[in-house]
Amino acid sequence: MVSPEMQKLAEERAARMQAARELKEPDRVPFTGLGGDVIAAYAGITAYEYQFDFEKSRAAVLKWLKDFPSDSAMIGAGGLDCLPLAVAFSDFPDLAGGFMVVNGPMNDILKMKFARFPGRELDENSSPQFIGRSNMDPSEYDELIANPQKFAYEKILPRLSDNFKDLNSPLALATMARAGLERVRQGAEMAKTMAAIAELGYPFGPAGGLSYAPLDFIGDHLRDIPNTVLDLRRYPDKVKAATESILEVLFKLATANPNVASVGFPLHLNEYLSPELYKEFYWPTLKEFVLRLAEKGIKSSMFCEGWHDPHLETLLELPAGWGTAMFEKTDVRKAKKVLQGHTVVQGGIDVGVVISGTPAQIDEYIKQLLDDMMPGGGFILGANVGNLPRNTPIENIAAVYEAVEKYGKY
Amino acid sequence: MISHEMKKVAEERAARYKAAVELKEPDRVPFMGLGGDVVAAYAGITSYEFCFDYEKSYQATLKYLREFPSDQPLMPMTSLANTVAALAFVDYPDITPLVSNIDGPTNDILGVKYFRFPGRELGENSSPQFIGKDFMQPEEYDELIADPVKFCYEKIVPRTITGLQDLQSANALAAMARLGIEKTRQGAAMQKFLLELQKLGYPLSGTSMFLTPLDFIGDFLRDIPNLIKDLRRYPDKVKAAAEALLEPLLKLALAGKKTGVEMSFIPLHFNEYLSPVLYNEFYWPTLKAGILGMLEEGMRSRVFFEGRHDPHLETILELPAGWGIAFFEKTDVRKAKKLLQGHTCIMGGLDPGMVIGSTPAKLDEHIKELLGDMMPGGGFILSLGVNNLPRETPIENIAAVYEAVEKYGKY
Amino acid sequence: MREQLLKSFVDMDEQEAVRIARELVDTDGGAVAVLDTCKEAMEEVGRLFEAGEYFLSELIAAGDMFNQIMEFTLPKLQGDEVTSIGTMVLGTVQGDVHNIGKDIFKVMAEASGINVIDIGIDVPHEKFVEAIKEHKPELVGMCCLITLGVDSMKRTIEVIREAGLRDDIKIIIGGGRVSQAVMEHVGADAWADDAARGVRLSKELLGKE
Repeated sequence: MVSPEMQKLAEERAARMQAARELKEPDRVPFTGLGGDVIAAYAGITAYEYQFDFEKSRAAVLKWLKDFPSDSAMIGAGGLDCLPLAVAFSDFPDLAGGFMVVNGPMNDILKMKFARFPGRELDENSSPQFIGRSNMDPSEYDELIANPQKFAYEKILPRLSDNFKDLNSPLALATMARAGLERVRQGAEMAKTMAAIAELGYPFGPAGGLSYAPLDFIGDHLRDIPNTVLDLRRYPDKVKAATESILEVLFKLATANPNVASVGFPLHLNEYLSPELYKEFYWPTLKEFVLRLAEKGIKSSMFCEGWHDPHLETLLELPAGWGTAMFEKTDVRKAKKVLQGHTVVQGGIDVGVVISGTPAQIDEYIKQLLDDMMPGGGFILGANVGNLPRNTPIENIAAVYEAVEKYGKY
Repeated sequence: MISHEMKKVAEERAARYKAAVELKEPDRVPFMGLGGDVVAAYAGITSYEFCFDYEKSYQATLKYLREFPSDQPLMPMTSLANTVAALAFVDYPDITPLVSNIDGPTNDILGVKYFRFPGRELGENSSPQFIGKDFMQPEEYDELIADPVKFCYEKIVPRTITGLQDLQSANALAAMARLGIEKTRQGAAMQKFLLELQKLGYPLSGTSMFLTPLDFIGDFLRDIPNLIKDLRRYPDKVKAAAEALLEPLLKLALAGKKTGVEMSFIPLHFNEYLSPVLYNEFYWPTLKAGILGMLEEGMRSRVFFEGRHDPHLETILELPAGWGIAFFEKTDVRKAKKLLQGHTCIMGGLDPGMVIGSTPAKLDEHIKELLGDMMPGGGFILSLGVNNLPRETPIENIAAVYEAVEKYGKY
Repeated sequence: MREQLLKSFVDMDEQEAVRIARELVDTDGGAVAVLDTCKEAMEEVGRLFEAGEYFLSELIAAGDMFNQIMEFTLPKLQGDEVTSIGTMVLGTVQGDVHNIGKDIFKVMAEASGINVIDIGIDVPHEKFVEAIKEHKPELVGMCCLITLGVDSMKRTIEVIREAGLRDDIKIIIGGGRVSQAVMEHVGADAWADDAARGVRLSKELLGKE
């Protein structure tokens, strides 16, 4: 049961996040907290256990959230994006949503070749990793354009996992049944974790979805990144047409759940592209995607991987209040100048500083960051990348939380 | 929590059953309980609800078992066996139970053409039913003989399961995922039910099923009238097919051993259609091989001899004593006892027609006589000939049976 | 022709660059000319990248062109015509299985005349030590993409130090999550979060520029 006290705390935290999302100044700067592999290390368990053992992973998350309170909670180890499977089953809205992400136990069943998990393909203390490879020949662009769902199902799925090599095999059918069983099992575990987290005064907002910029779908899952950037020069019209086709199916997926209130886009190819290529191949369908979601009242958030500086201004083409931009290497101060009053800026804490700084340096670092970023609101404090490694000094982490407590008041 | 007392009750009930199987005299005659559609009616729910609504079905069953205690529990959520699908997935033992035990909700996902469920194809108070059809043509015997598992998977599954009619389609894979989701939900609810059963002092034991090769062909592939013709037109093919099917069907039944199942259920259908000559030539060899094969692995059998098995009774003596349970429908159990005493445990004895249409006083007398004749020497389990009492069965008749068993069932 | 090759290469005109290179390579002394021109072009692409005019996609495209052209050029070169300015052992550190960044860097480093010994991804600490003993490089390059790699780099450098090899080599770390702070933390000599900077600094560490 959630006590009235904790209920109140959750409401305060939710209000804080909400105010920032509305580009306003809350009572304090909302802080998403730090996380990653260090959560498992802090609880004394391996990355493998964190990924595969729900009981241990739940205990680790709860310990972390209790000792390092912030305004939003992570609920576990997470997984790797598995969008092609969702696209392949996009005609089955009850199923597709559950196939967007694959975690360790689920990958024991699906055996996706792009996935590497600790204690399986990797050392027991490694992080889960996505390793793209080319799953499509350029001669297949027309097929992709004609029907991305059919193409993802008939051509890509068999190449992603040997379990689906023959779609009509008993192995393929058995794999799907097992995936269904596993999903319900995980759903029950997840519900237990969320209930326990709620008791600590953490809010759970309305459902959030995950999607991709259409060109990233090609880059990560179909052609791999190097081939995709070569394709931009070799088959520009095909790539463009493909992104338009993919947009349709991804939009359908993102809006399949009528309760979705926000959609997150992790951007990957952004930092590979010149403004020219970005504007020609990447941005049009991403922009269209965000606009269509906005029309339905759904907010977007973009994790702008790497240096997003050359493309910052394009965000202004979106209507004010469209959503949140999270930055990795782009200077959030610079982003704030461009986006103030228009886009929520999230991030700011360089994990490199948390890993290698001293508590005193970190205190100073956070103080300056908040001094510069808080005025005017519309800022959410968080790590620039969501993963702190296992050996991150705990005193440095504590220093971050203490500094936020000290300097985070409006 | 299960109390000590109820644990003890469960142990007593299990011991009673086990003693009978081992041809001994237990403390009381083991009694299977009377089940069927009446369980739903007694709880005031429709047969549709009993087949589709986990919660209602479980509650109805528990209510009935509480009021009418017996030595073995009855089960909620009537399911029908799709042995073709089970055989198709025989190499995936975790998947076979999903595709073979089909209840209402899973049939909504798969659309198995053999099955009819109340509230769907049937009226809401009808019983679930199995309707065979010739899903295989006689020209296909060779293919079946060459590789029965592959044949069932590639040919029969798409013909008989609407959701899997195009195996390589996204529809088929989606149906399997939905099946997995539904079965997990059901499993969670079932766990709760089983705990309640234990609280009522019922012993739990899993059963696996073995279908004789000829019943498999008759029920799932050719249908019974066609199979009868095939016996005369293509006798060698039928025989070869039965032999080819024996091994995978046995494998299917033995898969339960890993989960601690000690007895397999063998429902016979085709037995009563056959003359002793045909029975001995086509049917009995693989049935016998099946029973012996399982026995070798430490698994006894409970064979349901549908209809009148009188002409084939003597063949049972070819099996080693203590092989298992002969469950008779219309065969006279007194006659069977004479022949099988000391060799085979006999189950049955109660005519459902009597329970439906008789009076409490007559039932009392009937049971008194039955038990008087059948109990001596042990090796007898009291049961209905077919354990399905219709919804309209008078409750006072049911109560009379339980009271009479209580009164006359002590050794 | 050399100038046309240089221009089309730098302008990312793949078809034209490959066509000219094929023509040039069969002329007298053509193979050396092609090699030198392509190296020059790669250097220019790297410069444009560092100037913010070119992006990763251009580095990838240039690397691909370079490899395509070298495939038919290298067999026509005499052994002494391929000179190296130094040797580098290169690998993605233990725990990290990413390769895109390493591969982009590798082709650019090779184009700049560095002899690169690629020891792969998820490379155990000891394997770095073995490779250093075997190849006696002047430089060791360590890559990582994920933050986990930071711990792993630190440990690898420690193991190299324990083996008594640290003073014989310079170490450059590279990858999306490295920075000055990370470099100091792990004890490397240089850091780069893009391939062009990485190649420039590698050459500096070799004393060539």
